[in-house]
Amino acid sequence: MKKIFLTALTLSAFWAQAQQFATRSGEVTFFSKAAVENIEAINNQVSSVLDLEKNQFAFLVPIKAFVFEKALMQEHFNENYMESGEFPTAKFSGSMEGIENVDLTKDGKYEVVFAGTMTLHGVSKSISENATILVENGKVKLMTKFNIKPADYKVEIPNSKQKNIASTIEVSVKMNYEKK
Amino acid sequence: MRKNNLRHFQLISIGICLLAGTTLSAQNDLLAELEDETKDETQYTFATFKGTRVVNLQSPEIPGKGVLQYSILHRFGSFDNEFFYNFLGLDNAQIKMGLDYSPTNWLNVGWGHSSFQKVYDGYVKYRLVRQSTGAKTFPFTITGFSALYYKSQKFTDNLPHDDTERLSYVHELVIARKFGKKFSAEIVPAFTHFNVVETKDNNNDIIAIGGALRYKLSHMIAVTAEYIYQVNPNDYTHFNGNVETYANAFSVGCDLETGGHVFQLFLTNSRGVTEPYTIAETPGRWLDNDIHFGFNISRVFTLQKPKVPKEG
Repeated sequence: MKKIFLTALTLSAFWAQAQQFATRSGEVTFFSKAAVENIEAINNQVSSVLDLEKNQFAFLVPIKAFVFEKALMQEHFNENYMESGEFPTAKFSGSMEGIENVDLTKDGKYEVVFAGTMTLHGVSKSISENATILVENGKVKLMTKFNIKPADYKVEIPNSKQKNIASTIEVSVKMNYEKK
Repeated sequence: MRKNNLRHFQLISIGICLLAGTTLSAQNDLLAELEDETKDETQYTFATFKGTRVVNLQSPEIPGKGVLQYSILHRFGSFDNEFFYNFLGLDNAQIKMGLDYSPTNWLNVGWGHSSFQKVYDGYVKYRLVRQSTGAKTFPFTITGFSALYYKSQKFTDNLPHDDTERLSYVHELVIARKFGKKFSAEIVPAFTHFNVVETKDNNNDIIAIGGALRYKLSHMIAVTAEYIYQVNPNDYTHFNGNVETYANAFSVGCDLETGGHVFQLFLTNSRGVTEPYTIAETPGRWLDNDIHFGFNISRVFTLQKPKVPKEG
């Protein structure tokens, strides 16, 4: 009896997590193209989980981990714009449309819609973005590019900096998931 | 038999609890799970002060790795009776120019020259520990500063002099804390050593404790105040013949930041632009109107771009 229980427990725990894919070293970059200068930053400490069974996803982006071309840009980004002392992370979570088409048993490319709540600089917004899911040898990768407007998240860019910082920022996401 | 039943019952209850637990955690929000996994990560405090100096004291800040900083420091003549005669203090302004470079994120080395007593200086500034929360929690950022000064002004007394007489040293230990978004403070024990002092009654070693505050009015403007208390100040002979004690340097200022520049505008009773003279040889007093307008300007250049750790 005891053995059966333990086996059942172990199995159920395994089964519940079987379709989860996760990473702690996902890459998010952003690009701002403005008259005076282009600004680019890269972050490869992004955490993410995809639950293919429950059709849920989550991304957690530590703001301080964005690396810029200049140390001073990084300081301004954190101190003046994102106020990362107060809002240390950006978050995006919700559900996926089209994930049922993803077949983990064979290599392929799938278009999936990620719809949910983005929280940035303490401001939450509902967004929906297209992304490509790649299955390679049973491994799952995700790639997407989308635009965000700092003003939507109450990130203020003073008039004197509007020639330096774009009003629309291009965000690129690359995730290599491992089965959890 | 009864005993056996009870054991089964216990096992089943434990099993149900465990199963319920597993299901619950699986139903939990994935985001909460991620946040839980990363909540212990150390968060380091940054930008406790704007510039690498407050006014005369060092701040805990060190420019990023690979950054070259050029700075110009000015102290104009005092608001005394000669203020207009000296063209608003411009004619008798003191200047210091400096260059510093950070080979790593925690070390900065610098070189400078000041017109006050024609002093050359070289220094190292090194961050010992950073204020942080999370896995590693520490309440202060502590930065050390050690400098050597060479007074190159010619001796005018026609006596034989040794070159070592021209040297002085300053060590500062900057203990700083950022309280929230706007307010930062630091306490700076400082040790100044002069190889040679004016009279045998004077101290070669001056112990001082500095304190500085910063309050941000906006992202680009902050107000600062700074006071350096000397524990054992030296006496000096004023040109009017009186023997007086060197004053403690007090400064109030404002920091303006525009992109790569930091402008620090301030009022101070200290005339010397290098540390030994501001800490231990400030003759002027605020109450005597011996106040100088001054500014520090710095500009940074990135010589070596920060490297992004490769995904792996």
